[in-house]
Amino acid sequence: MNGWLGKTLIVDLTTGSITHEPLNMELARQFIGGRGLGARLLWDLVGPDVEPLSPDNVIIIATGPMTATGFQTSNRFSVSMKSPLTGTVLDANSGGTWGMRFKRTGYDVMIIKGRASHPVYIEIKKGEAAIHDATHLWGMTVPEVSEHLGQDTNHRNVMCIGPAGEKLVRFAAIMNDLTRAAARGGPGAVMGSKNLKAVVVEGDIKVEFDNKEQFRFVQYEATKMLKANPITSQALPEFGTAVMMNLVNGIGALPTRNFQTSYFEQAEDISGEAITEQILVKNDACWACPIACTRVTKTSRREGEGPEYESAWSFGADCGISDLEAIAEANYLCNDLGLDTISAGSTIACAMELVEKGLIDSDLRFGRADLLCKTVGDIAYRRDLGDELAEGSARLAAKYGAPELSMSVKSLEMPAYDARGMQGQGLLFATSNRGGCHMRGNMLGLEVLGLPKLIDRFQVQGKASFVILHQNSASVADSLVACKFASNAVSDEYFARALSALTGVEYSTGDLIRTGERIWNMERIYNIREGFSREDDTLPPRLLTEPAAGGSAGEVSHLAPMLNEYYRGRGWDENGVPTVKKLKELGLEGMLQ
Amino acid sequence: MIDERVYEMFRDIGRDMYEHNLISSHGGNISVRFGDRILIKRRGAMLGRLKPHDIIETGLEKNDSGVALASTELIVHRAIYKATPALAVVHAHVRRAVALSLSRDEIVPIDNEGSYLLKKVPVVSVEFASGTKQMAETIADALKSYKIVMLRGHGSFSTGQTLDEAFQWTDALEEACEIIMYAKQLNEEMIEYRRMSDSYTKW
Repeated sequence: MNGWLGKTLIVDLTTGSITHEPLNMELARQFIGGRGLGARLLWDLVGPDVEPLSPDNVIIIATGPMTATGFQTSNRFSVSMKSPLTGTVLDANSGGTWGMRFKRTGYDVMIIKGRASHPVYIEIKKGEAAIHDATHLWGMTVPEVSEHLGQDTNHRNVMCIGPAGEKLVRFAAIMNDLTRAAARGGPGAVMGSKNLKAVVVEGDIKVEFDNKEQFRFVQYEATKMLKANPITSQALPEFGTAVMMNLVNGIGALPTRNFQTSYFEQAEDISGEAITEQILVKNDACWACPIACTRVTKTSRREGEGPEYESAWSFGADCGISDLEAIAEANYLCNDLGLDTISAGSTIACAMELVEKGLIDSDLRFGRADLLCKTVGDIAYRRDLGDELAEGSARLAAKYGAPELSMSVKSLEMPAYDARGMQGQGLLFATSNRGGCHMRGNMLGLEVLGLPKLIDRFQVQGKASFVILHQNSASVADSLVACKFASNAVSDEYFARALSALTGVEYSTGDLIRTGERIWNMERIYNIREGFSREDDTLPPRLLTEPAAGGSAGEVSHLAPMLNEYYRGRGWDENGVPTVKKLKELGLEGMLQ
Repeated sequence: MIDERVYEMFRDIGRDMYEHNLISSHGGNISVRFGDRILIKRRGAMLGRLKPHDIIETGLEKNDSGVALASTELIVHRAIYKATPALAVVHAHVRRAVALSLSRDEIVPIDNEGSYLLKKVPVVSVEFASGTKQMAETIADALKSYKIVMLRGHGSFSTGQTLDEAFQWTDALEEACEIIMYAKQLNEEMIEYRRMSDSYTKW
């Protein structure tokens, strides 16, 4: 077998049984791996009657055929489940080295079911899995448990949760290799609900290739693209993802103080340039990634990793904070405790606005950098007001009678792009299957960076087609499992050729994007089965009615006409339900009654 | 009603194609896909002088009155959109590439830019090389795996997310073909400067 290893590991934590079975190759070819395969398996395993934090939810850990091949940026792993934050289908993926090492244990996929009676961890060595007691590890932070279980980048890799996952914080992350995170939508809480503290992997099984010479040629040509593109060869290595801060603020699309405005007057203080000049120690990279966008940084008090652009924004502009050290330390703490930095910062920003509007009695106001780390800790350990923030901004704002102040879509907090200044990005957030997210396709390339070419960011007509294409493309990347940053330079054509050479299954670029469309529709019908509908494909009212500032002054999101065009372009009916014809085209007929 | 910015995009690319000698006065056509709709150049309109009324809207799958006005090659554009992820299509009568297409089944650039961007451009043949179903299917099938292909003796079809991008592949191909011709005229032994260059024919 080439690319895929052909094996699935199944661990039932309720019964303690460990079995394995052949990978369903028909599904693997149709859904590739990672996110796509995860969504398809989830359809069969977790129905609408299952509560996300109950033992009946599952964790599907899936690599892709490209994982562990050394193809640039394509060695990640994905986790799928029903989200405790959104109630939607969820996947989140992560880099580092863990994904490569897991695949080298000899499995493409691991399905974790049930709930252990006490804290446990799973260890996989030489293809054999075992469940061990983790009572002594419960309560440990991510660095503590990783060290205890022997994290060694070159040999033995630890994936785990921190206290936030144990406390079922709805946006808790699964962490691996100390600081890498599969974070959005609360996968760490599902792991915590199963009393599963960690999964440790050791392995050296190699992936086989159908045509290794051709694969390496495609890889060589992709390297040229990465080296020639200034985003991947200069901007990301030198400034990290936070290189976007000044660019996005410059066009008036940087959400500020819980999206009350779209321009942050102190953006330069929290920019990629500021991070590089003031706190950067060195770059780091995921396995087989030449971009090395990771920031190892140091404040006057401690060293850690980050902040990425989204984290610098969520704890910075969104909270009206420009103290870079406080932001970096809040990020370090999220890594230690296992929290999604976007939802953490955005939920704090929501709380700040609730306080300023007199709906919550607290000192947690915009600009209070001194309270940032304390609040992150309170969330992770569910202390005081933190216990309410741990439910996410949608539940928090609803509790205090102001649901419109949650800057979320389907209860997932939106990232650092203001829909009023990027019309396509707004449509993308509104229609994302896992909620407000920029990793489900991203219009940043087209609307800001000019990748592959610049389009007018205020244009409404025709925007849906771009969104659809990029959502389908991102579905493929998440299923290979590849990092989105490579897409800045390397087009889908390269991935299609590499995948064909690797697996021996012929994928044209068109086939690959059609596969992405199948995955997107698979997730859509999962959400429809869960009760989601057109009314959930929307944005917070603020973005539809309150004009933006700065370079996007006077603009609001024109979502309605774009959404109609989007449904037609997707081949869905006016309620956003895929038509029978569309599902048949994609091989999904009969799945949605 | 077509957005003014969309018209400007058609106008600018059409003018550039004419000024770059990629088409004759009435040759070539361009289109974009907006969901289940296509915007395409009017039949007989001059790409170098497009007016707002020269941009015709019609269905991707279904016919409507727009087909009476649309480019003769609408059938090809529709087939491409249905078979590939393209959001824009550019068709040009690229002179040097057409000349090379008469004697080879693929065009493999030898210059750095052409190699970097295109790797290899396949040449396909059909009996009736203008606006036929056979032509549409052949070209659409080739474009599943390549961003630009040559129809022997006729011209290029390229795809992109935008007209700008599809135009880039067209212009890059013509430049690559010009360099191939210059090198052929020099008739000197080529000093290979590209690692793994033998692999381009397998792209």
